[in-house]
Amino acid sequence: MSTKRISKEFAEVSQSPPEGFTITLPPSATLHTWHIVLTPPPSTPFHPGHFGIVLTLPTDYPFKPPVVKFITRLYHPNVTNDSLGNVCLGILKPENWKPSTKIAAVLEALMNLMIEPQPDDPLEERIADEYRNDRAAWEAKAREFVNRYALEEPVFPAS
Amino acid sequence: MASRNDNGKPNLRVTIIAADGLYKRDVFRFPDPFAVATINGEQTKTTTVSKKTLNPYWNESFDFRVDESSILAVQVFDQKKFKKKDQGFLGVINIRIGDLIPEIGPDADDQMITRDLKKSTDNLVVHGKLILNLSCNLSTPIRAGQASSSRPTLGAPSASNLSTLSAPAGDRPSSAMSGVNNNALVPQPSLSHHPASVNAVPSSSSVNGSQSRPTSQLSPFEDAQGRLPAGWERREDNLGRTYYVDHNTRTTSWNRPTAGGTAAETRNEREAVTQVERQRHQNRTLPEDRTGTSSPTLQQQQQGSGAGSPGGAAANNAAAGSSHTAMMHTGATSPGSGELPPGWEQRWTPEGRPYFVDHNTRTTTWVDPRRQQFIRMYGQNNTNGQIQQQPVSQLGPLPSGWEMRLTNTARVYFVDHNTKTTTWDDPRLPSSLDQNVPQYKRDFRRKLIYFRSQPAMRILSGQCHIKVRRSHIFEDSFAEITRQSATDLKKRLMIKFDGEDGLDYGGLSREFFFLLSHEMFNPFYCLFEYSAHDNYTLQINPHSGINPEHLNYFKFIGRVVGMAIFHRRFLDAFFIGALYKMILGKPVTLADMEGVDADFHRSLQWMLDNDISGGILEQTFSTEDERFGVVTTEDLIPGGRDIEVTNENKKEYVELMVKWRIEKRIAEQFQAFKEGFQELIPQDLINVFDERELELLIGGIAEIDVDDWKKHTDYRGYTESDEVIQNFWTTVRSWDGEQKSRLLQFTTGTSRIPVNGFKDLQGSDGPRRFTIEKAGDLSNLPKAHTCFNRIDLPAYKTLETLQQKLTIAVEETMGFGQE
Repeated sequence: MSTKRISKEFAEVSQSPPEGFTITLPPSATLHTWHIVLTPPPSTPFHPGHFGIVLTLPTDYPFKPPVVKFITRLYHPNVTNDSLGNVCLGILKPENWKPSTKIAAVLEALMNLMIEPQPDDPLEERIADEYRNDRAAWEAKAREFVNRYALEEPVFPAS
Repeated sequence: MASRNDNGKPNLRVTIIAADGLYKRDVFRFPDPFAVATINGEQTKTTTVSKKTLNPYWNESFDFRVDESSILAVQVFDQKKFKKKDQGFLGVINIRIGDLIPEIGPDADDQMITRDLKKSTDNLVVHGKLILNLSCNLSTPIRAGQASSSRPTLGAPSASNLSTLSAPAGDRPSSAMSGVNNNALVPQPSLSHHPASVNAVPSSSSVNGSQSRPTSQLSPFEDAQGRLPAGWERREDNLGRTYYVDHNTRTTSWNRPTAGGTAAETRNEREAVTQVERQRHQNRTLPEDRTGTSSPTLQQQQQGSGAGSPGGAAANNAAAGSSHTAMMHTGATSPGSGELPPGWEQRWTPEGRPYFVDHNTRTTTWVDPRRQQFIRMYGQNNTNGQIQQQPVSQLGPLPSGWEMRLTNTARVYFVDHNTKTTTWDDPRLPSSLDQNVPQYKRDFRRKLIYFRSQPAMRILSGQCHIKVRRSHIFEDSFAEITRQSATDLKKRLMIKFDGEDGLDYGGLSREFFFLLSHEMFNPFYCLFEYSAHDNYTLQINPHSGINPEHLNYFKFIGRVVGMAIFHRRFLDAFFIGALYKMILGKPVTLADMEGVDADFHRSLQWMLDNDISGGILEQTFSTEDERFGVVTTEDLIPGGRDIEVTNENKKEYVELMVKWRIEKRIAEQFQAFKEGFQELIPQDLINVFDERELELLIGGIAEIDVDDWKKHTDYRGYTESDEVIQNFWTTVRSWDGEQKSRLLQFTTGTSRIPVNGFKDLQGSDGPRRFTIEKAGDLSNLPKAHTCFNRIDLPAYKTLETLQQKLTIAVEETMGFGQE
């Protein structure tokens, strides 16, 4: 819908990215796919991982929300524990989405989710239980995942 | 090129193994694919023909002389269409040998490659992949398949085989080569050729993110639960919903086929469902039809007249059962006395139920003609003395001095010039019929009478013969109906199913429209798709252009819908509200958007309801459209891409956007549909109806099972035992079919009932049971939320109040998408 808006948003976000993010466009692709690398702060068990995220803007953007997927695996109640990396983000739910929401706000929400998981609205029930009841075990597993999957720079799939 | 000058000994073996997910260009048939391989347009080899498949397997090897700069082109054609202009082109791949094998020689590794098939310069849609093996090891004997016949049999006359075959070899490669350049220079927006795109979800993979589902890494013939049964394929539509295609029966389903079920079980299940649907369809009525739909079914006629109906015993029982309901409903089967009128005959169904054959008009009816007081009453007024085919619908002329007129809102009223008064009531109808029924109901009946009494809606003399095979009903009907003139189609319909006996006294044409509506609206053919509203109402597929002949089909479908109305038959199909409005030439509004795309609707509504100043949306009066992977910018008004959307002009923007989303994307298709439709039904006549009435006119009014409805109803703030709720159901039960249908339209947006009853009612976000919520002030009318199949019902104190308020709400609210 809105190449103009997307280019403007990309210019803003890529020039002064929010803390902990690097944003690039995949080579020779349209503006509709963004490659994002998220580096969570040391206060989280996800440190020092680098997490690759593909953000896709639908043709109907901003009337439809963007789609966000982790391409790096992580152990998190709100991210599917598989190679798909689906994320449950409140502001992206169709019933909550507002066309005035900017991608910068989506990134901010993603960072908040890394700092503070939302076990009450989980995609992985089992991880949410563990997060609530046995935080130490969860943190250990989260760190183990970081060591296994997130120490290298993420490799984005060719689009 | 170098290869020619070498000593010509082959040095490369190309094995064309298979193709996967070829494009199905012909609506009705699978292609007979074969592949042609050429090197630099000079050395040409051809595989055998693989019959009727989108996934041909050839596994044939050919030896070529190549060097690193040689270009290998492999084209796939449909042998059936090879003599046509486009030669049944199904795609091409071009490979520079050096890109895969940098150094040709005995030491080079074998290369197994899978490539997406590409378009040629004529831009016909293709999809699918080609799988090849390239090997420099030529010492093993060449693979079988080609020794016997390396050429496809191109059909008679066989003498021309060689010449026809050499033609593409000679002139194709040049265009194929330019294809290489195209691909290299213009990085194609990576058309993802995954087979899901029969539905023309051609989404380039970049935009496709929203749709890529967990299953996207799996082949279309399997999913997380394992492999699908043979002949089944998993696809996604353009709203990202997964559905299943059964290539065995050319049907689609939202439900995953059960792996355990045998083919026979699946077929039986489907037949049972079809039988339920057929039953429903046959029981549909319109308010002024006394003889119409509840007349004997095809099978009953056949059995009644002694002709056996193959395998229809169960159907008969079911039919008989429901006919009894219909009988009680119309209350018209008590026997009359005296002699039957001339040309009439009494017959009995196998169950012993009498029915009546009118040989004058070749119709059947449950109603004893001796009991038809309407005819008696008004027959004398009938000056031409003809026997009335539909007693109530042709009431004869108005009394002297009376005139029928339409208001500007298309309501029928009557002028009595004798007394210089006007009235809503038809002076020909006994006033008792009009007592205690809501205004809209009286209106609908009057409109129908008016509509059907118009000269343009009268059956012409002569017969219109349509002969079809049950198994090819879409294809045969398309040929038969397209061939005939519109005038011919207005003659008495004589439907004949190939290989079946039976005179069309009504039952056959009912069956014809039933079967045909299942086929032509089947999303399998990409002409229509299920809307976002509830997964079952239909809308025109904006990407139907994937079938190059689609506009002819839409014109045909327009004709069929027109014919069904003209010949007073029902289609088993329900459309989104916006489509009915478009047929009536009414402008679509934001509320109609809800049925098309609820998320989009929500965002547009948000825009209207909130302050968007400061350019927070960054929108202009333009939009981007994506077709087959190519994104274009479309202005909503001239120069729109340079006009900012502001608080001041956002209303206009939303209107234009809705129009664009609902109308513009399917403008061509709808125009073709409308052309066909208007050949049978004049626009000014159909315009007497509103969109809800049009839905009932096309689909008929169903028998609604209130027990089933009630059983699958949820309550919020109420319990089933509350007096209000009891009053609600008492009211619903007291209503007739039309009023119940109207209530369904009001609360769910369509009068359609799921095949398996109310338990399968769908909302825009999946299954949604009918819900009654305690909400609203006692002085308010009930309110409906069609997206959620919900009615907000204030706690009215008495039955009378509830009846009155509910009637008014259903009557007064116009249009779909109440929210």
